[in-house]
Amino acid sequence: MRQIRTVPLIAYLVLGAGLVGIMESAATDVFLEATRPDFQKIPIGVLEFEGVMASGNAAERVAEVLKADLRRSQIFSVTDLVKLGIKVDEKLDLLNGAELPLFKQAADNGVAVLVWGKMATRDADLVFDGYVYDGGSAELLVGKRYVGGPPAVRLMAHRLADELVSRYTGEAGIARTKIAYVSDQGGGRELFVMDYDGHAPRQVTADGFLDLTPQWSPDRRSLVFTAYRNRRNQTIDMIELATGKRRTLVALAGLNITPALSPDGRYLAFATSQDGNSEIYTLDTRTNALQRLTFQPAGDLSPFWSPSGRELAFTSDRGGGPQIYVMNADGSNVRRLTFEGDYNAAPAWSPRGDWIAFVCRTQGFQFKLCLITPDGQKRLQITTGPGIDDSPSWSPDGRHVVFSSMVNDQSHIFMINRDGTEQERLTSGGMRHSSPSWSPA
Amino acid sequence: MNTHSRMAGLAATVGLLLVIAAGCSSKAIQTASDSSTEPGVVKEPRVAEQDLLGKSPSAPGQGRGSEEIQVAKVAPSDAGRRHAEDIRREQVATAIAGLKDVFFTFDSWNISDEARHALELDAQWLQSNPEKVVTIEGHCDERGTQAYNLVLGEKRAKAVRNYLVELGVGTGRLTVASYGKERPFCKEHDETCYQENRRGHMTLRVR
Repeated sequence: MRQIRTVPLIAYLVLGAGLVGIMESAATDVFLEATRPDFQKIPIGVLEFEGVMASGNAAERVAEVLKADLRRSQIFSVTDLVKLGIKVDEKLDLLNGAELPLFKQAADNGVAVLVWGKMATRDADLVFDGYVYDGGSAELLVGKRYVGGPPAVRLMAHRLADELVSRYTGEAGIARTKIAYVSDQGGGRELFVMDYDGHAPRQVTADGFLDLTPQWSPDRRSLVFTAYRNRRNQTIDMIELATGKRRTLVALAGLNITPALSPDGRYLAFATSQDGNSEIYTLDTRTNALQRLTFQPAGDLSPFWSPSGRELAFTSDRGGGPQIYVMNADGSNVRRLTFEGDYNAAPAWSPRGDWIAFVCRTQGFQFKLCLITPDGQKRLQITTGPGIDDSPSWSPDGRHVVFSSMVNDQSHIFMINRDGTEQERLTSGGMRHSSPSWSPA
Repeated sequence: MNTHSRMAGLAATVGLLLVIAAGCSSKAIQTASDSSTEPGVVKEPRVAEQDLLGKSPSAPGQGRGSEEIQVAKVAPSDAGRRHAEDIRREQVATAIAGLKDVFFTFDSWNISDEARHALELDAQWLQSNPEKVVTIEGHCDERGTQAYNLVLGEKRAKAVRNYLVELGVGTGRLTVASYGKERPFCKEHDETCYQENRRGHMTLRVR
């Protein structure tokens, strides 16, 4: 059986770096990988896809969605083949793929990967075949068939994008992840879930008052959130997305807010004011045992797990204004992480462990997003502009942050690269969207 | 092996697989373009996936190959309308009773002199209407984070409650709630409006 080379050299280098990072990181929770600043994006070209009349413009839509996914991946740079003078509408097939001059042209222009596809119909379904060729050798690396109804066109593209990312990095792609958030609906704030690129928003709750701060369960099946089922009693609930089945996890006296499930899904960290002021607790969801982690007359809230589950970052105003602190998961070894500025809140630990995103108030009295390393050594501001930014949440690949930003009467959800580039608005309709949380991959 | 014969060999393999796939595809590939609109029924698009090169999917991260996140359609609810009606009834009752709200400075839950005066009047009313109970809602302006403002709103509501208790109102008649910056009274984006929204809001309960 002939061997098909599936992972080019560059990916081996990247993986190698990743392994070294993991070995070094045992003590620090930091996982290094393809987000190193010297990582070179892989130039990729998307040829014109072929489609039968009956499929409408589905082939073009797959190509557009795929290109957007690849751009967002930060693994690939999408080459404009037309600009390079490469004929993109050649009819490719498996027999003569290697014979086409476009492969040589692509190789000469440094295009490392070429993607081609064709869309056909079968009964009511669309059948999309996607092919990935090595730009240099014209070798066929991937051939995938995706079959689904017309509403699945975007999903077909997302699948192929994830396939590419995973082939070239060894990591799960994010094109099929989702973002949970809160949106105004009929006078109340309800939970919604949308695709990671802002498409297909779906309403999850219809409680009619306030549902806030959703966070995903690690198995991606459920959301935990702050629920006002009526106006006076406020709980932490869990809703299973596929069924709508709901249960209350925390109903202590007082305010029960900012839930977050541990990476293994077993422990729920949250803040409750049952002791008078807001304190952080964990709930063992197997035994229902409660453990109090903070003992301060100040407000402690917004616990967020490190990717290892060994530590929690949280907000506390024990020093006056709100600041970010870190403690062990049993409440020991508390240390203050932020010292710059007098308002730092809403920490979110990157799934790679290397950064904590949070809301920082700037000298101009604006609420923007900042990042800080867990050792406090490096800090940077990644958003600018007039909006009141809130609720940072990392993509599972650690390359993006999603957040809400309010300007005048409109609050929308944006994603931004970790380095502060390429801010993209995700929500389009409506006036008030907030509290985004990115699903695991 | 030259490229030509490699591609030809590959093509033969792929061709064979395609024939096999076509032959059994109606059973092997189940598709679901579920267009049901019934509440509770999953309506996510689904995609069946097949490897045209005859390899098992081995790429990492593809383990969830067929497992997309499924979101059930939410059942329609009139909860919002019911809440709105309750709120309106309470607003009317609170206005008739003449209960007064109190206001705070930025990031603060200190009861000002002006607030003390208002709360003394509220306490008098509560003492002459011993069967009535109130909810004290803590509210904040739009600045700062949603979560921290929930905590701040509760501090305000509790500061109001504690002062009313000092004035002799029984704790059993006072419930606190915090809505943070989620339910502002005033929607402009200036200090006048912010002042309106940093509030301890008295709500007379209607049963």
